[in-house]
Amino acid sequence: MSKSSPRRFGGKSTATVTVIEAKVHRSSARNAKMAFILTAVIVGLLSAVVAASYWHPIVALFVGALIGVPTGAVVWLLVRVWPVIRLLWWWSLEVFLAVVLLTCWVQLANHTPTVVTLLVVALVVGVPAAIPTVRRQVIAWTWCLIVRHRLRVCFAQFIIANQSGSLPLILWARPTPVGERVWVYLRPGLSAKDLESRLDKIAVTCHASTVLIERASESNAAYLRFDIKRREVLNARVGSPLVDVIDPTAPVSASPLTVPTALDLPDVDAPTITLPAQGKPAGKKPATTANGSKPAASSASDDTDDVSDWI
Amino acid sequence: MTTTTPTTAGAVPVGAGLSMFDPVFIGIDEFGQPVYLDVVYHNLLAAGEPGGGKSGLVNNICGHGVLCDNTRLVLFDAKLVELGPWRDLADAFIGPDIDHGIDILRRLLVVATNRYTWLLANRRRKLAEGDGMSVILTVIDELAMYSTVLGTKAQQEEFSTLLRGLVSLGRACGMPVVAATQRPSWDIIPASLRDLFGYRAAFRCTSLNSSNIILGQGWAEQGYTASDIAPTNQGAAYLLAEGGVPRRIKAAYLTDTDIYNIADYAAWTRRPTGTPAPAVDPTEWEMAA
Repeated sequence: MSKSSPRRFGGKSTATVTVIEAKVHRSSARNAKMAFILTAVIVGLLSAVVAASYWHPIVALFVGALIGVPTGAVVWLLVRVWPVIRLLWWWSLEVFLAVVLLTCWVQLANHTPTVVTLLVVALVVGVPAAIPTVRRQVIAWTWCLIVRHRLRVCFAQFIIANQSGSLPLILWARPTPVGERVWVYLRPGLSAKDLESRLDKIAVTCHASTVLIERASESNAAYLRFDIKRREVLNARVGSPLVDVIDPTAPVSASPLTVPTALDLPDVDAPTITLPAQGKPAGKKPATTANGSKPAASSASDDTDDVSDWI
Repeated sequence: MTTTTPTTAGAVPVGAGLSMFDPVFIGIDEFGQPVYLDVVYHNLLAAGEPGGGKSGLVNNICGHGVLCDNTRLVLFDAKLVELGPWRDLADAFIGPDIDHGIDILRRLLVVATNRYTWLLANRRRKLAEGDGMSVILTVIDELAMYSTVLGTKAQQEEFSTLLRGLVSLGRACGMPVVAATQRPSWDIIPASLRDLFGYRAAFRCTSLNSSNIILGQGWAEQGYTASDIAPTNQGAAYLLAEGGVPRRIKAAYLTDTDIYNIADYAAWTRRPTGTPAPAVDPTEWEMAA
């Protein structure tokens, strides 16, 4: 499929082509024709060669044609419907889930009274919805399903790919605390660098906050990992285990400090300010803010603290 | 600067028994996994805007350090209050006094040189846990105060040069440096000094450029920028350590009470000289002094 298309597309476009599904669809007719001819000729010739050892060569040629043409037709059909097969493959899990759910529903509705049916449905739907852990798991895995489709939309709609329009292989996805992690295998024509310049657009398409791309393999640059982040989890305060290894009733052992009494600006005489003239930030931005938040500090450090705010 | 153990207690409990060679817990990552740093063989630079949580990270490392056996602390804090709780446990606590800081750095460099001579004599290249030598942890809060504000221009340059020496020498001889500052651009900290820090922690920044200065060129373009940290989310940071890719962490937070409790407990359980003197210790510290 990808072998035949460059001869047509190469002429009329620049080195890169924005992949549009319609274009892929159009090229599949040409690809199917090529596949039919190639398969029919190769299979026919091989069959003829094999048949020639049993029959007369002319008969063998007819036998070859009889085998080659139907095989070519099968391949033509496969290539022709390939976009549809691909689409079905992309949605296979959803289709499978829908079939299972509908079958279950129909069977349940046919074999039980309405009240029992509704009760079972209420339990099957309600229990996971009521238990937060299960609910979050279900939602997280649902997002994994969604995000794989959204990533494919990204690749198909706005990420420059190769001339035959082949999309990267979007492999498995799994939930992470912040969103999802999806593994992707790039096809020729794309690189991690290309994708990094479109992180914001990918995030928008995936309905996410940010997207990060990392290489998933040291040895293969095509194998990438997308980290899709849609929620901030590091909000709560994190405690330190050091607190648990100590005895909080330890006797206080701070050495006495000489606490300065000049804790306000009028208490400090002008000449006692010891800020150096050389310090650039100090020269540009004089310490103007009043700061009485540090009673234990000396007067000099009061001033330096103000200056540090301007760095 | 050493503390005297209070005499009110009849018996002193055995200390926490940590070691600086243990991984230091500093927080959790986005997967909820604990994040540990191998501080003893790495230098750490924490940077970000004021109120980002740098001091929380630095205090975690200090708290671990004071509870460690055979560990000495050298603390630089021009603001006094951030590292002040540990002042009695430190071998040196330098406030807004750059002369004192320069003296201490000179002594540390002598110690580092002596240690490397010792390592050479013992046919080694790196200090290990069983060597009986103390780990000297240097912690600097608000590095910019010493490199741009305090003292004369010459003193500031000398400070930066000496610190560069310590950062480049100290890694393999058990003398790591942990520094915190707000924006480590070249006009505040020489780029040659900044680039020596192996571990980087970028707390909230206002711009992509600031984040790049901390983590290194190019990370913001790849989506790793500390400017996307919410201003209200104190302690969240991008940590560039093992793995080679920055990861989002949340630094553990110690309240003031926690910090003083740990300091009191450490002072209670530590020996009056700060650390126990091992029999095989070649006493470089005294030689250097």
